[in-house]
Amino acid sequence: MNDIHVLLVDDEEELAKTIAERLEIRGIYCQTASDGDKALDLIKSQPPDVVVLDLLMPGIGGLEILKQIKSLERNIPIILLTGYGSNELRIEGMNLGAIDYVLKPCNLDDLIIKIQKAIKSE
Amino acid sequence: MKGNEVEFIGKITAGVTHEVNNVLASIREISGLMNDILSMTDEKSFPRKEKFQTSLEKIQNQVHRGVKLTSQLNKFSHLSDSIKTEIDLNDSIQHLIFLTERFARIKNVSLIHQTSNKSVTLISDPLKLQMALFNCIAYLLNRISNDGEINLSQEKKGDDFFVSISYNGEIVNRETVFKDSSSVEELVSLHTILESLGGTYEFDESNNTIILKIRDKK
Repeated sequence: MNDIHVLLVDDEEELAKTIAERLEIRGIYCQTASDGDKALDLIKSQPPDVVVLDLLMPGIGGLEILKQIKSLERNIPIILLTGYGSNELRIEGMNLGAIDYVLKPCNLDDLIIKIQKAIKSE
Repeated sequence: MKGNEVEFIGKITAGVTHEVNNVLASIREISGLMNDILSMTDEKSFPRKEKFQTSLEKIQNQVHRGVKLTSQLNKFSHLSDSIKTEIDLNDSIQHLIFLTERFARIKNVSLIHQTSNKSVTLISDPLKLQMALFNCIAYLLNRISNDGEINLSQEKKGDDFFVSISYNGEIVNRETVFKDSSSVEELVSLHTILESLGGTYEFDESNNTIILKIRDKK
């Protein structure tokens, strides 16, 4: 799994960094971004294999980030990270081209399986 | 309570449960990371490793419990989103039991849901329906002795939907409990709620049961 590169976008920085550290222990290189601008900059400079994207964020919301990632030349699979009461957003996100979703708090093993599936589907 | 006040409480509760969920997610991942690091450490360099791992497991279990509670509370906060929506009585009763279990546990009473295999769905006001069911549970809990079970079941007969709430334990003043009275607060409230749902209630004294009849608002 050493060659997998994930970008985790979540405004909960503590949470995102801890998940990233746990993924790295399991051999997945994971960068984090706490807002849409940082995420889009990272995607352009170091395109990841998969983006794990929180939908409810201040500033550029998750759906807008999703649209912008989808408009890029390279097709990067996106897994949505959703919380309570985000069903409509999640459906919209899936309709906009997200490949899968996980509910917060996510099970790390499930997330890894979904990341691997997303890469295979590409 | 006025509609906009209920909506206000619902929105604030939904927002806070969302935040609490993020806190729980962070605790889960941080304790998970601690466990990951411990797993890479040998016993010699960490003499109380096993004790730490057991403690981390307990943190994870409490997080799991917290997530379940906040998710059910979040679901509850959204009951006021609509006054007319499709409701599965199985889910609705299960949800209410989860939220009210604590009240029953104080009296050492178990709330038991007799689920039906097929879904029993109707169009109604989800918040008022929960309030009606809660009133019945509260009415019984306030009048029964400690111990025993309150059983809730649902069925559809023709165009009407029925929920039965029965108690199988000891009742001190049995003759007054299963008699309708306009001086009992819970029953007045129950009557008002059910009226707005197009429903009624009745007592089945021989079976220690309150039966709610609810109309489908299709």
